[in-house]
Amino acid sequence: MKFAKHPIWIGVGLVALGIGSGANAQQGAFGGGYGPPLKVLAPTQMFATSDEHYAHLLKLANGGTKHTLASVPRWDGLWVAAGNTHMSAFIDTGNLGGKVIEGVLTPAYEAAYKERWRQQIEQGQVDYDRLGECQPPGMPRFLLEPYSHEFINLPNESYLINDFGPSIRRVLIGKQHSNLYGTHSWYGDTIGFWNGTQLVMSTKYLYPADFTRWSPMTSNQFESIEIWELKKYPGGIERLEVQATFYDRYAFVKPINVVYAFRHATELQKADYRVNQWECEQTNNTYLDDKGKSNFHLPGEAGFNDGRGFTHFPELPGQSRDPIYNTTLTPGAK
Amino acid sequence: MKSFFRTLPIALAATMAAMAAHAHHSFAMFDRTTEVVKTGKVQRWAFNNPHSWLYINVLNDDGTQTLWSFESASPTQLIGRGITGKTFEPGTTVTVMYCPLRDGRAGGGIGWVMLADGSYFSVADGGCNGSDENINRWKGWMKLGYRSNKDAQAAADK
Repeated sequence: MKFAKHPIWIGVGLVALGIGSGANAQQGAFGGGYGPPLKVLAPTQMFATSDEHYAHLLKLANGGTKHTLASVPRWDGLWVAAGNTHMSAFIDTGNLGGKVIEGVLTPAYEAAYKERWRQQIEQGQVDYDRLGECQPPGMPRFLLEPYSHEFINLPNESYLINDFGPSIRRVLIGKQHSNLYGTHSWYGDTIGFWNGTQLVMSTKYLYPADFTRWSPMTSNQFESIEIWELKKYPGGIERLEVQATFYDRYAFVKPINVVYAFRHATELQKADYRVNQWECEQTNNTYLDDKGKSNFHLPGEAGFNDGRGFTHFPELPGQSRDPIYNTTLTPGAK
Repeated sequence: MKSFFRTLPIALAATMAAMAAHAHHSFAMFDRTTEVVKTGKVQRWAFNNPHSWLYINVLNDDGTQTLWSFESASPTQLIGRGITGKTFEPGTTVTVMYCPLRDGRAGGGIGWVMLADGSYFSVADGGCNGSDENINRWKGWMKLGYRSNKDAQAAADK
């Protein structure tokens, strides 16, 4: 049996990302398949920089819509990712059966991505994911993280919240970019304006990051223009769609256009789910081992984070972080 | 043996699909071609982000116990499947199916959990196959007394 060429193994790749063709690439990608197929709406003209792109959109919107608390669009509740098209920008079939499209990434980033893709195809797994050591998703990964999201719109500011981390992007309405820190960060600086029901955003000053571990990396010159809008479709389907153009002079030969989506997390809301504050470093036990692969610290091993067992004051009553069950983890307990 | 290689790609595809959907880290540490069943008592069901973990004490042949650690999905994923932080209470007996750590330590990526009343829960993330199809396959194998997929497949191919 020749594994690599056998049709069923090709099928494995297709099923793995839930993708049958480039056109359907979003169907299985992080919640894809909800609602009609996502369509990328590329800008009507090319821009040299994200600043030019943003200025163009602001001019088209005549300076933007001035919303009040009563009129600003509401995206209340819990949301989860509902697909995206980003793989189609980099893989010829948009799925695991495909190859890296040459000429989309710059030579250095293309070579780096081909190595990631080799690991994904040959091993079924990329060796390591930077989120495994609790790095924040950053941008653009924020747009597809499969944890819950919340989006709070006020007239002068929007808060885009991801439960992973947790992470918050703040969108300052009607402002200019500012960087008092003199450095970059995971979510950078985001400004925006409203164009009716569309929230148009510009983000700059980001750390280098990635789309996912099996997707390309991005540089510290990655910048985004995003247009967020709540779309309604027959059958009561509501989908928050994000048309995005990504600029990165180090990573991309030319700007990348993709679309991301979120849906209401009705299953979580029906279960009366509450988002709890958490700190990844206190409950995560993934680490990079000396072979360059992800591994775990287990109970009793050096480096193990016992998120429910830690206390500086064991002699005091009421210091357990597991007060309902009061469990302990003792390897080899008799 | 042929049926094993027919089944394996399907199992891997399901696992990889879950990987693509939910993982915050690589699953390179798990041997996802191997599935093993163990029974023990719950020490802790850590229903936490970024991943939940089920810790169970398993009685060894020599009378000692070993604490086994199994990685599961995040709470947001599990709640959608009807699983909460109280589903596996400490002290209760559970049977779990998992894909072992490649380095042989007492842990793995979990596929499913069966309670003493015979109810099954798919608690998998991308580390092992917790699909309904695989649960049904395992129901048949366990009736025949198998505790590993490779033993079951080898017997079927004889």
